[in-house]
Amino acid sequence: MSPAERSQRWRAALLWAWALSVVVFMYLPAVCLLLASSTSSRYFIFPITRWGFDWWQKTFDSIQIHELFKTSISIALLVTVIAVTIAFFGALAFARYDWKGRSLYQKIVLLPIFFPQSVLGLALLLWFNALGLPLSWKTAVFAHLVWIVPVVTLVISIQVYSFDPALEEAAFDLGATRWQVMKEVTLPVLFPGIFSGCLFAFLLSWGNFPLSLFTTGADTTVPEYLYAKMVAGYTPGVPVLGTVSTITAAILLLGGYGLIVLRRRARLK
Amino acid sequence: MTTRSPVIELRQITKTFGNFTAVHSIDLSIGEGEFFTIVGPSGSGKTTVLRMLAGLESPTSGDILLRGQRINDVPANRRPTCMVFQSLALFPHRTVGQNIEFPLKIRDVPPAERRQRALQLMAQLRLPEDYYGKNVTKCSGGERQRVALARALAYNPDTLFFDEPLSAIDYKLRKTLEKELKDIHRETGKTFIYITHSLEEAMVMSDRIGVMRSGRLVQVGTPNEIYTSPNSKFVSEFIGDVNIIPVRLNGGSKLQSDDLGAEFTAPGMPSGFSAGHLVVRPESLRIIDRREDAENVLTGKLYNEYALGSRIQYQVRVGEQVFIVERLRQQALNKQRDSEVMIGWNARDSILVGD
Amino acid sequence: MAEVSAQDAIAAPARPAKAPVWRLRAGPANAVPIILFLLIGFAAPLAAVIGYSVMPPRTFSLWQAPTLDNYESVFNSTSYISFLWSLGLAAVTVLLLALICYPVAYGLTRVFGRWATLLTLLFTIPLFVSENVRLYGWILFFIKNGVLLGTLKSWFGVELESWLFTEGIIVLGMVYVYLPFMLFPMTLGVSMVPTETRDAAFDLGATRWQVFKEVDLPLSMPGIIIGFLLSFVLAVGAIAEAKVLGGQQVIPITHDIEIAFTYAQNWPLGSALAVLLMLVVGALVLLVLRRFDLDIILGRR
Repeated sequence: MSPAERSQRWRAALLWAWALSVVVFMYLPAVCLLLASSTSSRYFIFPITRWGFDWWQKTFDSIQIHELFKTSISIALLVTVIAVTIAFFGALAFARYDWKGRSLYQKIVLLPIFFPQSVLGLALLLWFNALGLPLSWKTAVFAHLVWIVPVVTLVISIQVYSFDPALEEAAFDLGATRWQVMKEVTLPVLFPGIFSGCLFAFLLSWGNFPLSLFTTGADTTVPEYLYAKMVAGYTPGVPVLGTVSTITAAILLLGGYGLIVLRRRARLK
Repeated sequence: MTTRSPVIELRQITKTFGNFTAVHSIDLSIGEGEFFTIVGPSGSGKTTVLRMLAGLESPTSGDILLRGQRINDVPANRRPTCMVFQSLALFPHRTVGQNIEFPLKIRDVPPAERRQRALQLMAQLRLPEDYYGKNVTKCSGGERQRVALARALAYNPDTLFFDEPLSAIDYKLRKTLEKELKDIHRETGKTFIYITHSLEEAMVMSDRIGVMRSGRLVQVGTPNEIYTSPNSKFVSEFIGDVNIIPVRLNGGSKLQSDDLGAEFTAPGMPSGFSAGHLVVRPESLRIIDRREDAENVLTGKLYNEYALGSRIQYQVRVGEQVFIVERLRQQALNKQRDSEVMIGWNARDSILVGD
Repeated sequence: MAEVSAQDAIAAPARPAKAPVWRLRAGPANAVPIILFLLIGFAAPLAAVIGYSVMPPRTFSLWQAPTLDNYESVFNSTSYISFLWSLGLAAVTVLLLALICYPVAYGLTRVFGRWATLLTLLFTIPLFVSENVRLYGWILFFIKNGVLLGTLKSWFGVELESWLFTEGIIVLGMVYVYLPFMLFPMTLGVSMVPTETRDAAFDLGATRWQVFKEVDLPLSMPGIIIGFLLSFVLAVGAIAEAKVLGGQQVIPITHDIEIAFTYAQNWPLGSALAVLLMLVVGALVLLVLRRFDLDIILGRR
């Protein structure tokens, strides 16, 4: 091995070590939650003396928890459907078509992403109040959309950038109607971007706290419930639900991308 | 060319990436001031050879020598060589002048002197003086080409490497730039090592050409040698349209083509030859009136004709094979399609090669 | 295409002529839904905040005579301390993030190869768990008898005071929560530097440091600046870190705003504070974003 190659290996090894430390840093709290959820004692003391999954059992048997999950999932599903529909067209305007005012449009669309969510939540609270709308999980859906639609637009746009408009023109030229072009060419080609958009929309809504806090009214989402419990004092139910949230996100995301990879491989064969 | 003292020598250079051998034990010696071109199809390993010469890649085994010194372990920024990249790799955030001055700035040359040298190079490469402050991304393809060359020359290297810099340029401009490059080579007297997938481009500029295939150097020679005596079917095909007939040795000195059911007189026969290919260039193949006009004769049907400017190309079908014949425009053949024609060539105008 | 009727087939040649007209209008047409939505979901609420900020203190209706009382009381209060805390913490967070993320972004683009996708996904997952839950994990880590101190005590016999409820822990929490927002734009930026351009600089005699300074840094600047902007803006609006990890040792501006809205029941005052925060954030975002061509950063065209 030449000295140049040796120093290159060293550099690569250092970068790997650094990146893996950052991964550990990112997952350390999740590991702590998992540990805290796997004890049978009422209080968390480390090292754990009595391992057990009693609290998992208790948490899952609770009717209140079922209600929470129902609320959170309903909000997330509705947000996904609406956000992806609006964002799909938004992304076409963002990256597919060249039009006057596009550059300004792009910046306006991104503006909500660059906005502190806690302030956005309060602003929406004032707005709903001014309109006289009663707060419920439905207003929370709207609140989530304000932040999530721009994010999903961005996610889909990245796919749209790599889309060759000649494909649409070719289909058009071969006699397809506008609707057929959309159904046969545009949607299938942009599918990976739309799929990522769905994942992002669902998961960002699922995990959102600052926007839900001011806009759900009497309804409660999982993150809100967790926050209330955290502030009120320790219960092992919090680590259990925290771990469930993390694992759900991991499974959906890794599983989702696994599907995309499998689909691509299947098509190459 | 062998009288020149070698500047660069490759000794059994091999480069592997994982299980893939990109370059397979190459031996090569390039003389001082020579314009050497490596030609090969994409994936033949020519870019890898160049990157190893530039120091951007290190060989898995073998040695690279610069004026007799082993330079395997010298990194690119310490080698007195410089490369013009395929994408040109101009710094998009810098002006034309700043791009050219980059290697001088790196060496802490004072600004006034840098500017003077940059302007001098711009004049040499026929770039207008007012381009000095121009954004490099606003330049045309040919101008960018010249900026890249000026930047490399500013480094004042012994040897310049070129990684297909002209591949993305349209035909007419490419022809102009090829000639300019040859002029620059002559004016500077530096060693140029050029790679391209176009043997035509290589022919125009080079003193010598090396042909690469699947990581091996299959033939090295002057343009004339490569053209007139290719040592394989691969090299002969690389030079453009060519007629190739699979043949085997028949008895003493005759060649038999089973596909065409014909027998040919062979040119000089390589020792130990038993089967291979007979290569006839389109300009050596003639359309004849009488069987006695050529040593080897085939009869076929006129299939198609194409105007090539000063010449006309005819396709003649013999059995399943299509032969290409070229004639000057003045000697155009006035015959209907599908009419019967006789084509022929003399044995000395053909070449016998292996695979 | 079997069910194309004769009529369609005859009409077909007319379509290409219509196409350009359709395409001209398609851009703005596709933008309509999202623009309408952002008008009622983003612009209107912000207008509502501005409206409330000029209402008399402690009122809950928008239709009264405007007054600047709230702004006056903000400027006479100690809110500026909270503002400074928010800006200071955000600045420290962003600087640390830049140092932490650059090597990772570089590795993801140039070194990790096919593992880069998996690593990117691993960095994405935490984004989808609400931040207070994740911060709670840090509490379990740092708390007395928690994962860190408990381990030290039982394995090494070392007893230390918990570091919770200090400024340092707040910064750690912010670095942790906003890391993806720095990392992803930065990675996008680093991947905008063509390998050949770096090779060329190196080949022209530049040292590694010079390649970094002259090529890597300027060419990846758009992504880096967006990362700075995004993480700074979000960090200025942070609230959970100080509350959960900081134990209210430090009061950021967002906390002041929340208190005005909840305990104090003074919406107009909270709105005035929010307007000031929005001004800082909005000015910064507009100033930076104005200079960028997003097509180049996102689409690499």
